[in-house]
Amino acid sequence: MSDVVLNNIGKTYPNGYHAIPSIDLTIEEGEFIVLVGPSGCGKSTLLRMVAGLETISQGDLMIKGAKVNDKEPADRDIAMVFQNYALYPHMTVYANMAYGLKNRGESKEVIAEKVTSVANMLGLEELLERKPKQLSGGQRQRVAMGRAMVRDPKVFLFDEPLSNLDAKLRVQMRVEIRQLQRKLGTTTLYVTHDQVEAMTLADRLVVLNKGKAEQIGSPMALYNKPATPFVAAFIGSPSMNLLPANLDEQGICLSDRLSLPLVHDHRGSIIWGIRPEHLEVVDEANADFALRIQAVESLGAETLIHGTVDLGVKQEPMVVRLAGPHWPEINSLLWLKAPLDHWHVFDAVTQQRL
Amino acid sequence: MIENRPWLTFVSHFSLLLGIGVVALPVWVALVASTHPSSAFGAGEIPLWFGDQALENWRSVFLGEASSGVDVPVWYMMLNSFIMALGITVGKLFISLLSAYAIVFFRFPFRGACFWVIFITLMLPVEVRIVPTYEVVANLDMLNSYSGLILPLIASATATFLFRQCFMTMPGELIEAARIDGAGPIRFFFDILLPMSRTNIAALFVIMFIYGWNQYLWPVIITTDDAYYTLVMSIKRMLAVDQGDIEWNHVMVTTLLAMIPPVAVVIGMQKLFVKGLVDAEK
Ligand SMILES: Nc1ncnc2c1ncn2[C@@H]1O[C@H](COP(=O)(O)OP(=O)(O)OP(=O)(O)O)[C@@H](O)[C@H]1O
Ligand SMILES: [Mg+2]
Repeated sequence: MSDVVLNNIGKTYPNGYHAIPSIDLTIEEGEFIVLVGPSGCGKSTLLRMVAGLETISQGDLMIKGAKVNDKEPADRDIAMVFQNYALYPHMTVYANMAYGLKNRGESKEVIAEKVTSVANMLGLEELLERKPKQLSGGQRQRVAMGRAMVRDPKVFLFDEPLSNLDAKLRVQMRVEIRQLQRKLGTTTLYVTHDQVEAMTLADRLVVLNKGKAEQIGSPMALYNKPATPFVAAFIGSPSMNLLPANLDEQGICLSDRLSLPLVHDHRGSIIWGIRPEHLEVVDEANADFALRIQAVESLGAETLIHGTVDLGVKQEPMVVRLAGPHWPEINSLLWLKAPLDHWHVFDAVTQQRL
Repeated sequence: MIENRPWLTFVSHFSLLLGIGVVALPVWVALVASTHPSSAFGAGEIPLWFGDQALENWRSVFLGEASSGVDVPVWYMMLNSFIMALGITVGKLFISLLSAYAIVFFRFPFRGACFWVIFITLMLPVEVRIVPTYEVVANLDMLNSYSGLILPLIASATATFLFRQCFMTMPGELIEAARIDGAGPIRFFFDILLPMSRTNIAALFVIMFIYGWNQYLWPVIITTDDAYYTLVMSIKRMLAVDQGDIEWNHVMVTTLLAMIPPVAVVIGMQKLFVKGLVDAEK
């Protein structure tokens, strides 16, 4: 049975702002769904509607088959982890974790047992008697997760839970969240604007753009077959090179000097894309075009080369990603080949993949 | 201070000491006077060192043996003062916490108007509305009663306003977390809001207690029965003797007694008080 169903969900704020026009999403039991998109695209709004913190202006929200539109957050059987953790500052870690259970009227013994077992799972045994301000950021994060876990909810909701941690801890917590979620098998809705987090955590990704779901699918599906240029640019780092072009009998015509052969029956203006990691350095004879190098970023394991492609009328920026260290000269030419099976072609008008 | 100039240190210490002297001298005089026989003041000079009558003076005042112009002993008036001050303080805190809670966290019609009406009462302290308030209290048959002493003074726009500010800085995520944890309005108030406003409540407690303890005009107006006299009132009574000399030694003992509870409250709650004034622990 599907766990959470969003049916034509929309949100209009009281000031008239149409934050989310309409979203349909069916989440299976135990699935890890990541909502990702640029700032202000409505990720938090959507999550908060599922949580019950924001009213639903339109559509139906079903959790385990029951419509919960008008239920209080506490009655929806969800648990939420906030960006700033939102721990009760005057309560100990134990009391923080126990508070939801206490309000549900569980007995002291049951509470103690549940809190202890979750604390063991998260390595919080030593910290139970401390107050939140006596904890490090990572520990607070863990307590916030513990508080969500003791309630044994049907759905976990996370709103950018890792964005206040330093880079190293973020990676560690990311792995931990994933493992815990697998172990507990709890359906999870996770909001982030970090695409690495999104790719590594998700069973399925929902890419939001201005309140619309641009594409829903597994991280690999989104990487390999982005439905729109927006998704193509958003998923993958550095993002995909996208160039405006024209499709005609000869193929893809980037400018009057440069065209790439392609047999396709679509005609008209398109957007042509290729990922930086799929471009190959070749000799001049086999090359599709040349890149004038402007900057080189060596990261050790890989090298990012930024440059421009001369299209006659204008220079289009392009990034190439090569394995291992390279030291090409600035302003020299790099001959590149774009293998046909890695091309992405989008209609410039409808923004859809061709 | 990073600067370390000897003369600066000297000047600042000197002015501090001077200030302390100015403030403390009257207290010192009262303390000293309370240890002399009443005749010591007759000559018009003020003794500056302790006399030998301390125990005697304090005992007689405390047990009401000294003539104070009031029919009840001082300890009884202290009790009255205490009941009044505590009643006013607790009442003010209770009412203003509830009204601030309603104004900040509940959406009801004319919410803003309600707040401003409360705010406007800042312009109407007891002294301004004393005649109509007396009328109301008299009609309700509350003259010469504790409720008459307390109730007209417990509405507090100041405290409501301060609690409103305090509640408004409560992080939104915390309120939402409590909602998800199933805390209804009452639980939220007692489990989250009250403990988190602890320091503000303590600070206001101190201020309100002193305000209540030092009430003079209102008790004078509505009490005619000595059984409801407060300590602060009785000092005035002691100075208004019909014939004979004012017993300064006994007046001073009473004055000192009247100072002790506010001082004790300030000292006892100093830590929380300062915390409540400077930081919000959030
Ligand atoms: N209470 C509100 N009233 C009106 N508009 C709002 C309100 N809250 C959010 N919005 C608007 O709705 C849009 C979506 O906001 P939301 O908080 O969901 O963004 P987000 O995707 O979570 O962004 P971020 O990554 O920055 O957190 C934004 O344009 C925002 O300005
Ligand atoms: Mg957000």
